[in-house]
Amino acid sequence: MIDRAAVRGVTVADAWRTFRTAIGLGWAVESNWSDPFLFAVYTIAKPLAAALILVVMFQVITGGQGTEFLQFMIVGSALWNVVFGVMTGMVQSILEDRERYRMIKYVVVTPTSLFPFLIGRSLARVLISLIAVVLTLLVGVVFLGIQLHPEPLYLVAASSIGLLAVMALGIAMAGWCLQLRQEAWHYPEAIAGALYLVSGAIFPVDILPSVLQPIAYAMPTTWWLEASRRGLLGHGASGAMGSVSDERVMLYLLVSTAVALPLALGLFAWFMRRARQEGLLDMTTGS
Amino acid sequence: MTTYGARRATNPRDAAEWSRGRVLRTNLRSVFGRAYPRIIGLTREPSWVFFEIFLPFLAVSAFVFVYRALDAPEEYIGFVVVGGAMTAFWLNVVWMMAAQFFWEKDQGNLELYFTAPMHLMSILAGMAVGGLVMTSSRAVAVIAIGSILYGVSYDIQQPWLLVAVFILTMIPLYGLGMLFASLFLMWGREANHLAELLQEPIYFLGGVNFPLRAIGPIAGLMMATLPLAVGLDAMRQLVFAGSEVSGVLPVGTEMAILAVMGVAFLAGARIALRHLEHLARREGRLTLRWQ
Repeated sequence: MIDRAAVRGVTVADAWRTFRTAIGLGWAVESNWSDPFLFAVYTIAKPLAAALILVVMFQVITGGQGTEFLQFMIVGSALWNVVFGVMTGMVQSILEDRERYRMIKYVVVTPTSLFPFLIGRSLARVLISLIAVVLTLLVGVVFLGIQLHPEPLYLVAASSIGLLAVMALGIAMAGWCLQLRQEAWHYPEAIAGALYLVSGAIFPVDILPSVLQPIAYAMPTTWWLEASRRGLLGHGASGAMGSVSDERVMLYLLVSTAVALPLALGLFAWFMRRARQEGLLDMTTGS
Repeated sequence: MTTYGARRATNPRDAAEWSRGRVLRTNLRSVFGRAYPRIIGLTREPSWVFFEIFLPFLAVSAFVFVYRALDAPEEYIGFVVVGGAMTAFWLNVVWMMAAQFFWEKDQGNLELYFTAPMHLMSILAGMAVGGLVMTSSRAVAVIAIGSILYGVSYDIQQPWLLVAVFILTMIPLYGLGMLFASLFLMWGREANHLAELLQEPIYFLGGVNFPLRAIGPIAGLMMATLPLAVGLDAMRQLVFAGSEVSGVLPVGTEMAILAVMGVAFLAGARIALRHLEHLARREGRLTLRWQ
């Protein structure tokens, strides 16, 4: 048991300093060490291409008729960059620091907590994903005729709660991936891919097989996407979810996040304790 | 008994005064040696099998549901399933061919490759053979599961031609991977971003989830540069022979394009490797980790 009073540095100020330093480090790893042109292309091209795939699919089938579904897809595709960014950001930063840079053991033995370091270190990817969201929406508005009718209060509330939920999932994933061997690198993509499918990111949840629908309704990401669509477009999905009132959508988002957040923090703490006991923090798998 | 000459040599193959037979045997053993971990990995790392099937299948499912939501004709579901299976090969080419030398450098294997008396093309050929075997099993699984779950029906009237097109597609596809392996290594730290960049944009430009014709004039450019796009377009024409959706070019023309691409990419890979080897020896920088 650590006697925190005896350890200099376990203060909010130190946690804040760790957080700020980690943000700088994360940004350096993600951007400064890359060619700026390539990094800019990478930031723009990937999310835009993902959205354009959906646009072409829509055009091929409908011939451009009924843009409500196109708006639904573009907003979902744009927002999904945040989920993917947070998931991969959290997991890859912790794995990179263990496997590639081999620094995580030193971070853990310093008096400050790993938690602010992890959040800060992964923030660069979150920021990049937010740029991708804005760019995708901008292209949607300028070139695809997406009409935004923002409801600022609703949107800010939905985004804040939703981001908390997504970060909670990312934190739990990061702790989990510390327990794994080589396949750990694949987990964020796999889990984000599974959530993409069950959260109704690019199609209404009603289209899913009935066995998957309860899972979809239990996910905070489903309600975050729905609330964000309502906050951005002024309307949500068609089908069963569309008939739920705005207040209820926000309530479901709040409740699912309130369940996910403590669960994720508890899981992370448990995973970290196990990682210390099993010597997983300085383990390298050669992956 | 082998003798290593004291004369100046430009590379280890030159330095080892071996008979042609021994050179050939060594290179074949290198091909087998590099293919072995990928093939044996099928049984030793079951989690890889899960991820290699699961990830493309998730993407396939998402696009299938989009087409369902749009009330698209059933053949489009088939297009997505076949595209998803081909995605497995593309991912293999990008992550396990193109980016592989970069990872090998980080793990310390690359300098061993440069000092061993065998040709680097043997290593790349081994990666390609192993990757092809490994990914074929996953592509078959994606097609089988996707077809059963989503009720895709195929209309294959020329199965042998389909096999020929598939083989012709794989040669330039893995040839491109070999070429990228050298380029990625030269571009250094950007390997990860480059590999990421070669996913969604290529799925879009390659018409993985829709008929290639739908992207208009860009399809012509892709026909000249991207083997995935050409092969997929030809295979869809053969797998869904009764479909009303036509390909960009006739299958025969697309096969000729693939053959030319195969020669061009393999020759390009050989030239790039020679340049890479030259740089590695002259500057000694390419084998440094984390660069």
